[in-house]
Amino acid sequence: MSRPALLGLGRAARAVRAELAAALGVALRYRADFWLQSVVALGWVGWTLIPLAVVYQDRPEVAGWTGGEALLVLGFFLVLEGLLGAFIEPCLREVVEQVRTGTLDFVLLKPVDAQLQVSVQRIAPTRLPQALGGLLVVLGAAAALPTPPGPAEWAAAALLLGAGLVALHGVFTLVISASFWFVRVDNLSYLLQAGLDAGRWPIDVYRLPLRIFLTVVLPVGLMTSAPAQALRGQLTGPALAGALGVCLGFGALGRAVWLRACARYSSASS
Amino acid sequence: MSAAGRAARAMPGLLRVGFAEVATYRAEMVIWFLTSTMPLVMLLVWDRVAEGGPVSGQDQASLARYFTTTLVVRQLTGAWVVWELNAQIRTGRLSAGLLRPVHPLAAMAAEHLAALPMRVVVLGPMVGLIGLWRPDALGLPEPAMLALLLPSLALAWMLHFVVQAAVGCLAFFHEQSLGVWSIVGSLYVVCAGYMFPLSVLPADLAAALRVGPLFSMLGVPVELAAGQLRGGAALGAVALQAAWVGLAALGLAVVWRAGVRRYEAFGA
Repeated sequence: MSRPALLGLGRAARAVRAELAAALGVALRYRADFWLQSVVALGWVGWTLIPLAVVYQDRPEVAGWTGGEALLVLGFFLVLEGLLGAFIEPCLREVVEQVRTGTLDFVLLKPVDAQLQVSVQRIAPTRLPQALGGLLVVLGAAAALPTPPGPAEWAAAALLLGAGLVALHGVFTLVISASFWFVRVDNLSYLLQAGLDAGRWPIDVYRLPLRIFLTVVLPVGLMTSAPAQALRGQLTGPALAGALGVCLGFGALGRAVWLRACARYSSASS
Repeated sequence: MSAAGRAARAMPGLLRVGFAEVATYRAEMVIWFLTSTMPLVMLLVWDRVAEGGPVSGQDQASLARYFTTTLVVRQLTGAWVVWELNAQIRTGRLSAGLLRPVHPLAAMAAEHLAALPMRVVVLGPMVGLIGLWRPDALGLPEPAMLALLLPSLALAWMLHFVVQAAVGCLAFFHEQSLGVWSIVGSLYVVCAGYMFPLSVLPADLAAALRVGPLFSMLGVPVELAAGQLRGGAALGAVALQAAWVGLAALGLAVVWRAGVRRYEAFGA
């Protein structure tokens, strides 16, 4: 790598570190709300298992998934939702505000990649307990499977979860870009959250047209069901490659649309 | 003129302004709408569950009708006053509202009501699509229950609004109270009949939840409209709704009064 590129990378890393430190400071402003929200996030994990228990109360299997297997999906959903709430949603809310007030200009003027900056400017650490709880749900449910997953299955699931995060970030970027066109959309973050809700349940619950929609248009079914499939040992090589491809494709699409949106962004001051 | 009289006289104007605002920010309205589509997901999930036969006496058709109704009632009784209050209190925008002759909460209530026609417009095609897929999901209750449905819907809306406003007023004391609302929201999805009808639960548990305020916020009008709540039980449920509204309004009056006094003490 050439020297200027390396310098750019070091600068970006320093900027990200500074942004994250500032974001943490902002997140800790309201102490009472902070503690309350942390406790709520953790309690919420146990609470979200209730509908699953009710659905499976007198059915051993729904749409080919046992209760334990559906629990895997719910676990991955909780991890993704927690990370969405901790890192993506707060940034989204901030960018929409910046677009509305015109302060996005300051972000665009800084010598660090703008997409990187807007992705780390706010964090909500109160949502991390939920992601942790989701991980525990996945571990517990996987251990209780009739044939516990081996290292290869775990590796595939981890890879898919990572790819799912890339896809989620891509969708997030698409939503921000949309805010360049439709200015007053301060509730977009709730939309993202609601869209994710379909990923609570195994994707086979949905009928065919919707299943395709949840795989390639709003890939939340893919993000939560594919890693669970991997742990069940039912994911073939081509399916794994396809899932990874779709997720990374969303990351790339987000980047492309972001660059276009920035190019046509007319700031509030011009 | 009394405060209530002033609010009543201003209401038509406030509603017109509110409607114009909703019509202007259509995209925002549609987004709010789409955030409460969990009943659609649950409709599909329960449809699969009931594939092999009825669940606690409910077959695919009656579950479809239950969740279609839940979608509609949820939209008609939705509120966002807790976010509005949190924002207004934190930014100090509430000060302007307090100076006006109309009570700020009355103005916010008018905004909520003005959004209803637009919500119905968005609901129409969605319910139509469900009807195409499963025609027996649509239907009206017997006329006597239909007459009870309107007051029940109104009370459910009021309860939701008043409870949200009361939680929103906590922001006077903690600067931000969305955490408290997220607790209520978590309880709501499980106890109000939002993700599953209470009738699939063990009878004792269901009976206990039916007395609670969350079921009054959503479940009562849903079960009325879906034809699952009839006769004397229906009347009793609506009376209970009214009691919860009264209690919640009392609570709101207390926190509002204490909160506004404190808010002025901030020097706003």
